[in-house]
Amino acid sequence: MADSMDVVFEALASPARRKILDIVKDRPGCSVKHVAGFFEVSRIAVMKHLQILELADLIVSEKDGRSRRLFFNCVPIQMIYDRWTSEYSALWASNLTKLKYRIESREKTHGRK
Amino acid sequence: MGESDKAVFRVVIRGSIEAVWHEITKTDELQKCMFNMRLETNGLKPGGQIRMRSPSGKTTGVVGEVLEFDPPRRYVHTFRFTQFDDPACTVIHELREVPEGVEYTLTHANLPAGTKTAKQMNQGGAMICATLKAIVETGRPSFGVRLLHVLFKLLEPLTPKKCRSENWPVDRQI
Repeated sequence: MADSMDVVFEALASPARRKILDIVKDRPGCSVKHVAGFFEVSRIAVMKHLQILELADLIVSEKDGRSRRLFFNCVPIQMIYDRWTSEYSALWASNLTKLKYRIESREKTHGRK
Repeated sequence: MGESDKAVFRVVIRGSIEAVWHEITKTDELQKCMFNMRLETNGLKPGGQIRMRSPSGKTTGVVGEVLEFDPPRRYVHTFRFTQFDDPACTVIHELREVPEGVEYTLTHANLPAGTKTAKQMNQGGAMICATLKAIVETGRPSFGVRLLHVLFKLLEPLTPKKCRSENWPVDRQI
């Protein structure tokens, strides 16, 4: 709900919360239970992380009877991208990140890390 | 559970709910947040037909039918790209006043899984939200989006024949 980027960066500054975003992105509309299944910590702790993500609008939840369905909202990240990336730098940056991903995946398949 | 048929996009916009509503429903000028298309309709009410035409009017990118129209909070319509033969999906625009301004939620429902339609809708949602915010708050889209509008104009002659507007009159039920 907040408009400031502070809450977005704060929400993203946690490995657990970034993992939650990966999980929800992979399974749009999943339940809190589904997310909690990936973590050793209590469901309360997961709920707390979800609350922070929702405050930053990175997760949007929808009531579905008694449970909630979770969706990843990419707009706050789009706003970060738009703010610091111009069309031209995007071209070079995406070529560089592609190179990085290619090298990393090659190293992975060769058993090096 | 398989892949969801739904995607949600949300943004908070500093501005009035009327201003945001106007941007997504106006018919008298180009809707810059909706890829610079012009909305043509035979009535924004349930059952009304909607067409999204290019600035020149020659091509029609999107066709649909209004399902709900409740100004300035909720607008629901079906949505189909004329370019693809995929079934229609449902687009839901929801506006809500919050202390910071207006919370705009765009939901794409009944997305036909694995289709070009689903892919394009997923790419478009974030851009619509970001552009809507830029227009209401600053008066115009970002430079990148403006560049894209120029590109669309240049590419219009390459649009497939089936997207020509004469194939999509506004008074014919789709």
